[in-house]
Amino acid sequence: MEFKKKKLANGLNLIGEVNKSAKSAAVGFFVKSGARDEPKQINGVSHYLEHMLFKGTEKLSAFEVNEAFDRTGAQFNAFTSEENTVFYAAVLPEYLVEVTGLWIELMRPALRDEDFNIEKNVIKEEIAMYKDLPSFDVMERCRSLHFDGHPCGNSVLGSGESIDNLTAEQMRSFFVRRYAPNNMVLACAGNFDWDRICSIAESSCSKWQRQAAGRKLEPYGGSKKKERVEKSNLAREHICLMSPCVPAQDPRRFAASLLAVITGDDVGSRFFWELVDKALAEAAAMQFGAMDGTGTFCSYIRCSRENVPKVLDTIRDIFRSLTESGVTDDELKKAKNKILSALVIKNELPMGRLIDLGFNWIYLEQYRTIEDDISAIRAVTVDDVHSLIEQFNPGDFTQLSIGPSQDSS
Amino acid sequence: MAERLDKHILKNEMVLLGEPMEAVESVAFGFMLPAGAAQLPDGCCGAGSVIADWIFRGAGDKSSRELGDALDGLGLHRAGGVGSSHISIGAALEADNLAQSLDLYADIILRASLKEDQFELARQLAIDGVLALDDDPRQKVMLELRERFYPSPLGRSALGHIDELKALTAESTKAIIKNNFNLSQTIFAVAGKYDFDLISRQMEDLFITDHPQARPPSADSLEAATPAQAVANLSPRKRGYTHLHNDGAQVHIGLMTETVKPTDEDYYNARVAVSVLSGGMSARLFTEVREKRGLCYAIGARYHGLKSAAGIMCYAGTTPEKGQETLDVIIGEFNRLIEGTSEEEIERAKVGLKSVLILQSESSSSRAGGIASDYYMYGRVRSLDEIKGKIEATSVDSVLGFLRNNKFTDFTVVTIGPKCLK
Repeated sequence: MEFKKKKLANGLNLIGEVNKSAKSAAVGFFVKSGARDEPKQINGVSHYLEHMLFKGTEKLSAFEVNEAFDRTGAQFNAFTSEENTVFYAAVLPEYLVEVTGLWIELMRPALRDEDFNIEKNVIKEEIAMYKDLPSFDVMERCRSLHFDGHPCGNSVLGSGESIDNLTAEQMRSFFVRRYAPNNMVLACAGNFDWDRICSIAESSCSKWQRQAAGRKLEPYGGSKKKERVEKSNLAREHICLMSPCVPAQDPRRFAASLLAVITGDDVGSRFFWELVDKALAEAAAMQFGAMDGTGTFCSYIRCSRENVPKVLDTIRDIFRSLTESGVTDDELKKAKNKILSALVIKNELPMGRLIDLGFNWIYLEQYRTIEDDISAIRAVTVDDVHSLIEQFNPGDFTQLSIGPSQDSS
Repeated sequence: MAERLDKHILKNEMVLLGEPMEAVESVAFGFMLPAGAAQLPDGCCGAGSVIADWIFRGAGDKSSRELGDALDGLGLHRAGGVGSSHISIGAALEADNLAQSLDLYADIILRASLKEDQFELARQLAIDGVLALDDDPRQKVMLELRERFYPSPLGRSALGHIDELKALTAESTKAIIKNNFNLSQTIFAVAGKYDFDLISRQMEDLFITDHPQARPPSADSLEAATPAQAVANLSPRKRGYTHLHNDGAQVHIGLMTETVKPTDEDYYNARVAVSVLSGGMSARLFTEVREKRGLCYAIGARYHGLKSAAGIMCYAGTTPEKGQETLDVIIGEFNRLIEGTSEEEIERAKVGLKSVLILQSESSSSRAGGIASDYYMYGRVRSLDEIKGKIEATSVDSVLGFLRNNKFTDFTVVTIGPKCLK
């Protein structure tokens, strides 16, 4: 593995990890643009923009873009979160230069009115689709309740109303601010020729104009509010719990990941043994979500309406015991083994490696080898986990549930 | 791509397969146990998902908790599920822990505790899983579709039916395990970093039995018979159109039509044809339904093959007022295939299929799953070169020839949503 980096004069960061023994290569643009960067009136614009980048450039139509990707057999797509938009592709090594060139072209899209109008329908269908997925709906509503006005609570998809009112002109102006070279990282991983990637990036991206992008990192404590939403077509109760935790830049993020695995991994965790194994809930999981300048513990539980009181009591007991008695050496050891094997397996694929490489640069401006992460996980002690619990008590949470009408159970 | 295949057959006739991979530190393994949904006696729909949970609730000298802790302590990422033909159990892990993991899995398969109190919990979770389907119309529509498309029992839902789950007892479920966990019909596969000689010796010791078990009568033995006999023994399909009401935001459309089986000489032509329809973002369904008309966010079709029947399966989700147009455009695109395809479309479809094949070959889990299912389907493991060659050999003419001989005449359609179509 060999790490390479270069920063263009306009601020665009190029990074790569070359692994000549890989059978494939992956490339991605990581853009610091997400729901938290959006003014309320244009909420959803980052995600909509992600769709619009596939609609082509002054030279390429949407169909020609799709054709160009498919000719290389690329596995390609994009995703948008509260704070990042990521465009990626995994390909056979011989196609990496071509696909990188294509992504570079697409980063300067035409954003045509007619494409914008057709795609608005697709965005509204996507919003409707997620409304029919209560496990997603409950988390988005809980995030909004938890962040309570803080931009991290903004919806990634936006609402039907914000999307209806959004204009192509507003999108173009947002694009200029956020897709500035100094707000983006171009990353490659796997089997590829660094010099060639560098030279096409230099010749094509150097003309991109630097902008004042930036992001305000406002502190928050979490609302701790508790709410329930009724939906008559639902059969089960979907519960989401959220509490604050350390940000992506904090070295304690490794202890936070371990605590989430101990508490709520899908098998073998405290949630698993107390809730799922005993058939009180059919799903119960907790995750650590590291973000720019902030972080969350987020749990999702699904159960029958009648089991809700018992489930919530059990969860309170689990969190109380974490605060009062902490975690055991044995629990920590098992959690480390799980995280370490997941890390090794994920990073064996160039596509998996690309994601870690890109996010480490986005959040830390740092290259971390897999061994760096392995050592950091191994080094976490029971005391580290305990001091994290003391500072960020996960039992002090915001709670949002969605379920059937009270009288229909 | 000169990959090596390791193979060893145990004295009890269990087949061991392995594909070593350079440059990985992980290993993935899996057991395919002949107890899938279509293999079970009538009236036991869902027993597979109960069994897949129950066998992990204590085995050998370990309680449920001790077994779970031991598996977690090895850093196992468990994978598996219940399919039409098999229950699959296995994991991906760091290579050094493989031997200890196999010891535990031998206990799980041969010496599961199967305690009554644990049965009740496993069954309750299976029932909850079925109830939760009502909150996931997208998954539910595809399960309902398979049940209606395939002749019974091939399309049975692996999750099961509430009434049949309620009727299961610990005793009846134990009897299924005894009959169906037949080692002579079990396939074990491993891929990644391993020593095949060591594994073979260990497995011979772990799975020692006096003599091969008799094969119970099941749908699989029907599958092994000649195709004509097999079809004659299966119950006819309940095709046509079915609507299930749900006051959700979208109407979820599932559609399936018959095509050639994986063992058919036209299999690769069928795969290329499906890829023209829905392989990438330049494929026809995505272009016509989403890009040109903005009817859907989620739209796609894929090949779905069992040993004795196969279909092309399509899903689309859209708001109710666009439901009818979406279905009409989808059926129109299926039928338009036979009018012809361009060289470029075929070329893109072929490149896409080959690329997926090679990208997946970097993952130990994908390879372990791939070689096991190949062995079940074909009685041998196809090399990547063979598959690549067969894809290369297709052409505009061969794909069109296939489409003309296998016209899409009959569509099974299921919708879930606030409004019925047609």
